[in-house]
Amino acid sequence: MKNRAGANLVSIASLAILWELAGRILDSVLIPPLSKIGAAWWKLLAGGKLLPNLAASLGTMAAGFVLAALVGIVIGLLMGRFRAVEHFLDLYINSLMSAPTTAFVPVLILWFGLGVESRIAVVFLFAVFVIVINTMTGVKQVDSVLVEMARSFGAKEREVFLKIMLPAAMPAIMAGIRLGMGRAVKGMVTAEMLLTLTGVGGMIMQYGSSFATDALFAVILTILIVAMITMRLVQTVDHRLTGWKVEVAVE
Amino acid sequence: MVEIQRVAKTFRTAGRNGTGEVKALADVSFSVRENEFISIIGPSGCGKTTLLKMIDGLIPYDSGNILIDGKQVIAPGPDRAVVFQSFALLPWRTVLANVEFSLELRQLPKEQRTKIARDYLKRVGLTDFESHYPHELSGGMQQRAGLARALAVNPAILLMDEPFGAVDAQTRQLLQEELLELWQRERKTVVFITHSMDEAVYLSDRVVVMTPRPGKVAEVLDVPLPRPRAAEDVRRDPKFVDLTNYIWDSLKKTMENHH
Repeated sequence: MKNRAGANLVSIASLAILWELAGRILDSVLIPPLSKIGAAWWKLLAGGKLLPNLAASLGTMAAGFVLAALVGIVIGLLMGRFRAVEHFLDLYINSLMSAPTTAFVPVLILWFGLGVESRIAVVFLFAVFVIVINTMTGVKQVDSVLVEMARSFGAKEREVFLKIMLPAAMPAIMAGIRLGMGRAVKGMVTAEMLLTLTGVGGMIMQYGSSFATDALFAVILTILIVAMITMRLVQTVDHRLTGWKVEVAVE
Repeated sequence: MVEIQRVAKTFRTAGRNGTGEVKALADVSFSVRENEFISIIGPSGCGKTTLLKMIDGLIPYDSGNILIDGKQVIAPGPDRAVVFQSFALLPWRTVLANVEFSLELRQLPKEQRTKIARDYLKRVGLTDFESHYPHELSGGMQQRAGLARALAVNPAILLMDEPFGAVDAQTRQLLQEELLELWQRERKTVVFITHSMDEAVYLSDRVVVMTPRPGKVAEVLDVPLPRPRAAEDVRRDPKFVDLTNYIWDSLKKTMENHH
């Protein structure tokens, strides 16, 4: 773990140095040196532009993601548990999972308008299917011997579900949540770029079209950092909930 | 008393080549006396595990009848508990919580659960490992936990499905001795599935020899060895050697007839 952190640090440091050098040598507006990006980032922060936009973006993302997690886990559990539900839904879920979600944005605009509802819907659509599929797979892969054991000791359907299937599927559910979180970040930025220009996505479009590349990269880097932090958060929760599984994997 | 009367079972299989039928058991009859230790031995696929699950009430039988103290078996009940070949411990629970699982399903209050579970962990020698997770234990220790979980509900009938099949030879012998000791103290009816002749003879009052698929009872043999049985003495006893040899011949004969 320590080595890994060290390797990450070396990787980031060397990329930063390369970038800085490339920016200075090429001296082009297309690749601003890192120091200029840093300065632009500070200006955005100090000028009170970055944080309010970021907060708005994260609010949208959180709303869409929580919705996606709730709906996704419930549908996934039902599909994993009941063959009929799986057969009924699996065609749609699978096609929507691999379809380019961006294609639905115009439809969402028609349904929800250009406001925050549409952006939440985009985040939701980006995140929900991967959560459904992982949850379903998790429930279906529960060791049948454990279910048999529970039945043998007199477990009713409800107890089999709550005491065996749900905890056994938890690692897969958390994997879905992790992937869904990554997709939610994509959905958030996509929505802000394609719908009304707001939040960090709006900033990207604005700076990109006005060749303010230093500010553009500053916003992009911010999004990358935010994505990394959210992933780390999800991982922490994951370890809490499914530590037993992680320990198995480490051995 | 467990009575198995003319029980038959056919599994319908659905595969790529369409549906088929596998006749697992044909006309199985024998009975198990109260507090008796009986082993069922037979070649792989003779349906002995199927039979055990039917006695537990986990799977239905097609015809015939299984009676426990005169009552027909239709579902799992509190008078029976299974020890599984693959241990079937919940990997997200500690050893203590695994043993408590069977008591949880019986709606016992938490305090009582823990007390009983600890008591049985002590009897199987796992007291120091109660807060370990299953994957941190050896196979033998995992099965001790499985045994504690089954004993904790105080069943009249203990159904053991090749419980020591997945552990190494030395551990296996140790577990056999411990099981006999426990059985001698607790006095339970035990139905023990195995494919080891040694194990069957050493542990049992009687041994049921089954034929290959579709499983039938080839013969039921009395084990004329006195109890308590000390492993070293028993294995050198000529009666032990004769009986294991006899079972070996009997199994061989059923296999040859089958071909």
